[in-house]
Amino acid sequence: MAIGLVLLQAATWVAVRVAARHSLAQTVEDELLVASRLFDQVLETRGQKLSDSARVLTADFGFREVVATHDARTIRSVLANHGRRIDAERAFLISLAGVVEVDTLGGRYTGQPFPIPELTDPDAPERGGFGVVSFAGTPYQFVVVPVMAPEPVALVGLGFPIDRDLLDEVSQLSGAELSLFRPRDVSGAVLISTLERESAGEVRRYFESLGDTSGTTFETLEIRSQRYGSLARQVPTADGSEVHLLLKRSLDAAWHPFRTLELQIFLLSSIALLGALAAAKFLAHGVSQPLERLAAAAQKIEHGDYSPGLQVFDKDELGQVSSAFDKMRVGIASREAKVIYQATHDGLTKLPNRTLFLDRLEQALRRAKRAGSTVGIIIMDLDGFKEINDTLGHERGDDLLREVAERLSHAFRDSDSVARLGGDEFAVILENCDVAGCIEATHRIKGSLEAFVTLESVSVAINGSIGIAVYPEHAQDAGTLMKRADVAMYDAKKNQTEVATYEPDRDEHSVRRLAILSALGQAIENDELELHYQPKVDIRTARAVHVEALVRWRHSELGVIFPDEFIPQAERSGKIRLLTDWVIAKAVDDCARWNNEGLDLTVAVNVSALDLRDHRLVDDIRSRLSTSGLEASKLVIEVTESAVMKDAGRAASVLEELHEQGVVIAIDDFGTGYSSLSQLRRLPVGELKIDRSFVSKLKESADDTVIVRSTIELGHGLGLKVVAEGVEEQADWNTLQTLGCDMAQGYFISRPLPAADLVEWMRTASWGRGREPSGRIA
Amino acid sequence: MRLPAMLLVLSFIPILASPAELTIELRHDGGDLVSGALVYAVPDERTSAAEAPTATMDQLNRQFVPHVLAVQTGTAVQFPNSDNVRHQVYSFSRAKRFQIPLYEGMPPEPVVLDKPGVLTLGCNIHDRMSAYIVVVDTPYFAMTEDGKATLTGLPAGSYSLHLWQPRAPAASQAQRVTLEPSEKLLVTLQTD
Repeated sequence: MAIGLVLLQAATWVAVRVAARHSLAQTVEDELLVASRLFDQVLETRGQKLSDSARVLTADFGFREVVATHDARTIRSVLANHGRRIDAERAFLISLAGVVEVDTLGGRYTGQPFPIPELTDPDAPERGGFGVVSFAGTPYQFVVVPVMAPEPVALVGLGFPIDRDLLDEVSQLSGAELSLFRPRDVSGAVLISTLERESAGEVRRYFESLGDTSGTTFETLEIRSQRYGSLARQVPTADGSEVHLLLKRSLDAAWHPFRTLELQIFLLSSIALLGALAAAKFLAHGVSQPLERLAAAAQKIEHGDYSPGLQVFDKDELGQVSSAFDKMRVGIASREAKVIYQATHDGLTKLPNRTLFLDRLEQALRRAKRAGSTVGIIIMDLDGFKEINDTLGHERGDDLLREVAERLSHAFRDSDSVARLGGDEFAVILENCDVAGCIEATHRIKGSLEAFVTLESVSVAINGSIGIAVYPEHAQDAGTLMKRADVAMYDAKKNQTEVATYEPDRDEHSVRRLAILSALGQAIENDELELHYQPKVDIRTARAVHVEALVRWRHSELGVIFPDEFIPQAERSGKIRLLTDWVIAKAVDDCARWNNEGLDLTVAVNVSALDLRDHRLVDDIRSRLSTSGLEASKLVIEVTESAVMKDAGRAASVLEELHEQGVVIAIDDFGTGYSSLSQLRRLPVGELKIDRSFVSKLKESADDTVIVRSTIELGHGLGLKVVAEGVEEQADWNTLQTLGCDMAQGYFISRPLPAADLVEWMRTASWGRGREPSGRIA
Repeated sequence: MRLPAMLLVLSFIPILASPAELTIELRHDGGDLVSGALVYAVPDERTSAAEAPTATMDQLNRQFVPHVLAVQTGTAVQFPNSDNVRHQVYSFSRAKRFQIPLYEGMPPEPVVLDKPGVLTLGCNIHDRMSAYIVVVDTPYFAMTEDGKATLTGLPAGSYSLHLWQPRAPAASQAQRVTLEPSEKLLVTLQTD
């Protein structure tokens, strides 16, 4: 900007100078023109004056009288006399015909025609005239006036030399130097000039160099390194002689005031420049810089940087803006912080929420990746929280959550990031922690939650299921890690183990599980399901009396899907009823058919806990039985011990209704659930099936033998039949026989068979025919 | 010498006995009538005046009155000053050069004009005053009025007819005219 200003000033100065010079040259030209006109005017005025003087002279009576005498000598003397009165150098008396009658020049012109006839008008001699003429190379103003007596009788001509006084007069008035020349003058001298001799000589030399000077010529002369403007022209003469006029004005002199002006302009512009620079600097300092700072601060905030940095100095408007801006920054920062806090923290417990937890987990994983260390996460779900909420109300529920949050926070460091993931789910990040370390951490959790929580005079025990997953063992990224910890927690919950670590196998078939789930719906319709029957043999008679219906699913893509895969899925997806209905229908139909064909068989069908909750089961079975014509006693409903216990009340009533129909109830997997004997007594159970886990180790484990024996005696005590599942060897058979078990089922006897194969087996296998009375197997 | 004179006069009696009349009509080239011009007829046979005639050139209101005065040669002209200021009368003309110094009333003597010609009169102290006295060799002259002038009492004979106007160039040729006794002749002259 400074450079621009300097350039501007320089340009201005140059422009002014050029314009001034041009203007000056023009002005000098104009002045010369004026001087030239002034010269003409002065000449004219002088001529007029001389004419008037001459007229007065010739009106003199004595003069007229003398003229009338025609006495040449007297006339000459009078001419000379009177001429002197008015400084006329030459005098003529001219007849009206234009002939010189008398002259004061020694009679040279007498008798000749008047040499300047242009000055007279023969038709109007009383007018007279005047003009410039040259005599002997010298310019004169010549005047002709009539002699009136009383009519024009003659003319008088008077010549007045043009001298320096005339030029001086013009020179003084106009400021120009004047010089009169007569070119091709033999003497070679300037006629008259206002200049000094030397200068005049130079001017003349210049003048002679001019060619045609008929018009008005403007030239710029340089004489002795001084510059002049000049005007050269001819003076109009009455006798046609050439008289030239040269006017000259010094350009340098004329430039002088301009020089002063130039200097002043230069000074002023320099001052203005300095002033502008100072103003610019002041402006920059006072306005631009603060504005720049303000803009920079705004940019910082735009990019999310709320750190202070704007210094406020001034008290004026900019200062006010700056301080308001700063307050705004603080406000924005605090609001943003608040928003961020609210977005990342749980409102109730003030713990980090899922979003923040995930974020911190990702950061922890990055650190662990760099350091090559491990990160473990614990996800905990409170047991029975729903019941507490329902029983004690949501406010108590919230208080409980807050209490849990606080206890957990105290159990861990801040850096461990205890978080509430939602609902009754909490989580912790443990850096540099492997599985063992995580398990140890769970002990801390258990410890912290041990004490009862008092919720307004009500004491509540807190129990939770905890899932553990560790990086990099169980997953590589935060999302998967959390999912697997979740799976582990679910496992813990399901298996009631309180704590579970993620096992990769569990999840191995998750894809398969989903596939199964989605295929399940179609399976029944697409006839992909098959019922296989596994015989249950009476130990005493060694004859198959019962068959357990087991679902087999052969899927086109997934292959054979075992019940322990799809039945839990069916239960979880609500499709179990469909399945159970289908199984019951098929089993009942098959069994009815066998009985009709002469095979005395009872069919046992597995029913899930979910099925037991629905009274429709009763109606369906009833209608099935009536439709097929199968006796109710030929149908056994097998329910697992734990299934019954799940919803003991309702299960009991359903079973009761079935029992009333005549259907036999069998408790499956007995020994693996947590039933109480009193509950058992209340149920209309007809059979007890000992879980295979006890049977398979009969020969090894003495404890199991005791359990089996006890169970058999218990069952008998309650009037129930006891069935042993999973009989795989002769030894087991023998033991069971010894222990007095009623029935046996297992691969020792047969694997589950399709309906057609079963019929075949019944005919061909010894089990089908039964034992010979000898007790040996046929 | 009285007898020859008498004889001369007597010889003219028959002529004098029946005078003619000459009327001149004067026009410009364009046809306009010209007034204020002097016409005079000079007989071939000149006679001198019977007795010296007199004439008067007066001055009134800074003017000569009349502006043009025609007199026969030999007339004594008197210059009364009827004005309320003094005047000085002069003539530098060849016909008569004279001067009457500043005066009022009547100058002591008249001026005798004994040469034919034109006198231009002026007043020394009043530049605008001017008049003409035309001295002619004949008693027969008159100024045209409304373009006409009539000369009477002309004896029969031949005359040269002249015209004079102030400031006009001299007439190129005088017209000649011959009059019979008792003739009344009308002549039309043209002037520039």
